[in-house]
Amino acid sequence: MARADVRRVVSRGAGLAPATASLAALAAVMLLAVGVGSVHVPPAALLSALADGLTGHLHGTVDTIVWQLRLPRVVLAALVGAALSLAGGAFQGVFRNPLADPYLLGAASGAGFGAAVVLVFAGAVPWLARLGVPLAAFGCALATVAVVTLLARRGSQLPSVALILAGVVVGSSLSAATSFLMLASRDRAAGILSWLLGSFAFASWARLLPVAALLVPSVVAILGAARALDVLQLGEESAAQLGVPVAAVRLALLAAATLATAAAVSVAGVIGFVGLVVPHAVRLAFGAGHRRLLPLAGLWGALFMVLADLFARTVVAPAEIPVGVITALVGGPFFLALLRRQQR
Amino acid sequence: MAKRAAFLVILLLAFQAALATSYPLTVKDELGGSLTLTHAPRRIVSMIPSDTETVCALGACGSLVGVDALSDWPKRVTSLPQLGNANAPDLEALVALKPDLVLTDEYSGLAPRLRNLGLPVYAGTPQTFDQALTFFGTLGRLLDRQSEAAVLRGRVEGQVAAVAAKVAGSSEPSVFVELDPTPYSVGPASYLGTLLAKAGGRNIVGAGMGEYPQVDPEYVVKQDPEVVLLMDAPYGESVAKAEARPGWSTLRAVEDGRVLALDRQQVDMLSRAGPRMGDAVVLLARLLHPGHF
Repeated sequence: MARADVRRVVSRGAGLAPATASLAALAAVMLLAVGVGSVHVPPAALLSALADGLTGHLHGTVDTIVWQLRLPRVVLAALVGAALSLAGGAFQGVFRNPLADPYLLGAASGAGFGAAVVLVFAGAVPWLARLGVPLAAFGCALATVAVVTLLARRGSQLPSVALILAGVVVGSSLSAATSFLMLASRDRAAGILSWLLGSFAFASWARLLPVAALLVPSVVAILGAARALDVLQLGEESAAQLGVPVAAVRLALLAAATLATAAAVSVAGVIGFVGLVVPHAVRLAFGAGHRRLLPLAGLWGALFMVLADLFARTVVAPAEIPVGVITALVGGPFFLALLRRQQR
Repeated sequence: MAKRAAFLVILLLAFQAALATSYPLTVKDELGGSLTLTHAPRRIVSMIPSDTETVCALGACGSLVGVDALSDWPKRVTSLPQLGNANAPDLEALVALKPDLVLTDEYSGLAPRLRNLGLPVYAGTPQTFDQALTFFGTLGRLLDRQSEAAVLRGRVEGQVAAVAAKVAGSSEPSVFVELDPTPYSVGPASYLGTLLAKAGGRNIVGAGMGEYPQVDPEYVVKQDPEVVLLMDAPYGESVAKAEARPGWSTLRAVEDGRVLALDRQQVDMLSRAGPRMGDAVVLLARLLHPGHF
């Protein structure tokens, strides 16, 4: 007990150290992920390829592989991991519910439904499907959360229980509709399923930029609300007495987290577990204060996703495992182990 | 005599020259994308099994440097690097092979990705018998194998004409083609439906039912086909299982022992619109009209 207390005090004191260490770990893992693939690239060639890219002069196949195939994929995985993890941390804080995740309000089932509709009805037109799937996924994710919010509204109030219930119900209905679409058009079922399980295989700089443009402001907004989230943990009434505009903060956080989730889902599909597990793991390791929790959750979400994608594309190379399967398989046991250690 | 031989040689050379491709060659593919070749491709990647077969049938097998995982004919291509499939390609390995021509389909989305990477791509693979005949010529032009393409087309058309001559006048047996036991079948407009008609078979699936319809099991019993082709036999279905289905014991095909299980090689041959189309029609005709062969 005494040791735990000491650790908590020490970790509260050292604010920069964990952040720097996490950032260094993320950079190392990203470098590793860019270095490993189905084509062997020696470290020296990797560094010169990275240098070539920075100076804007790509030449040779190694440069193409590193800069056009691997780097956008690794950066996208990091962005999506950070976004989902931050959104999960925000949802958990807003609802003061440890089981909350970025998909709590139906963003995943909405996105899945939108993608399935496009794949079923426009799947035969390649360019339409390519453009339509991310747009429909993004639009339907936002629309679903908006509907859930409207359903849960009681006058000017937005009770947490009503929100969660409405999210579960609307989500289940949309998942059922997606299942129906898959059964009704069996030749598209495989495409829909692989989208639902998530993948970074289609990463490119062109796909990455719009997502980054959506993610950056949402991430900044979530990070900016960290102190308000801390106060919110005291309870809504206490927070209001302390001068926090509770309703506005909650709405802004939900909007930012939903925007981040929708952007992530639209480009990578539905990748589960990251948004639930990583914030918890960071909370257990570094403490519960949101000003530390949120940035670290972003960094470790990115690191976890880059590693998961590295496994996804190397374990059975040249075939790939859907990255969502990896995050669930690895994330679950890791999380349980962490919980047990904490209880001891 | 020698003069005549010399004349023939000159004629042959002139004929060949007329059929030679001149590079640089620019063509549009099925997606409307533009492809420019500066020389006859020497490092070809094929991501479609039927395209692999056509490249080899044109005598350019030696120029293939990589194929998709399902390409298995002719045998020698199985020793080439495998690059996944068009839907889940091993892009890194593909790029590392430095291909000067990649052949792929127009649906998987692989072509635009390769084009973004600056690779020369031809997107478009034949789905029908007639498209395949045309594609022989297209590929012949790309690879500077135009006389080989003409010969290949002539051989396939000759095989089909010979089958037509043999089965002409004999009654066409009614056929149920089973793709999987749920049961999915093929319509007359599908690729396999076309082959069936050329082999002198009458498809029990009507044109109005679509190209790859799921049919009512009762419909099969009611149509009482004379021959059943089990295309799903390599994937777990068997003659015994099929014959034990409700209502099948009195089918003509069952009574006559004409529920036929096809093996993997035969199913592949019947599914790929490529150089073995003629062989596929001959195979079907042998199964449907055993007395004529």
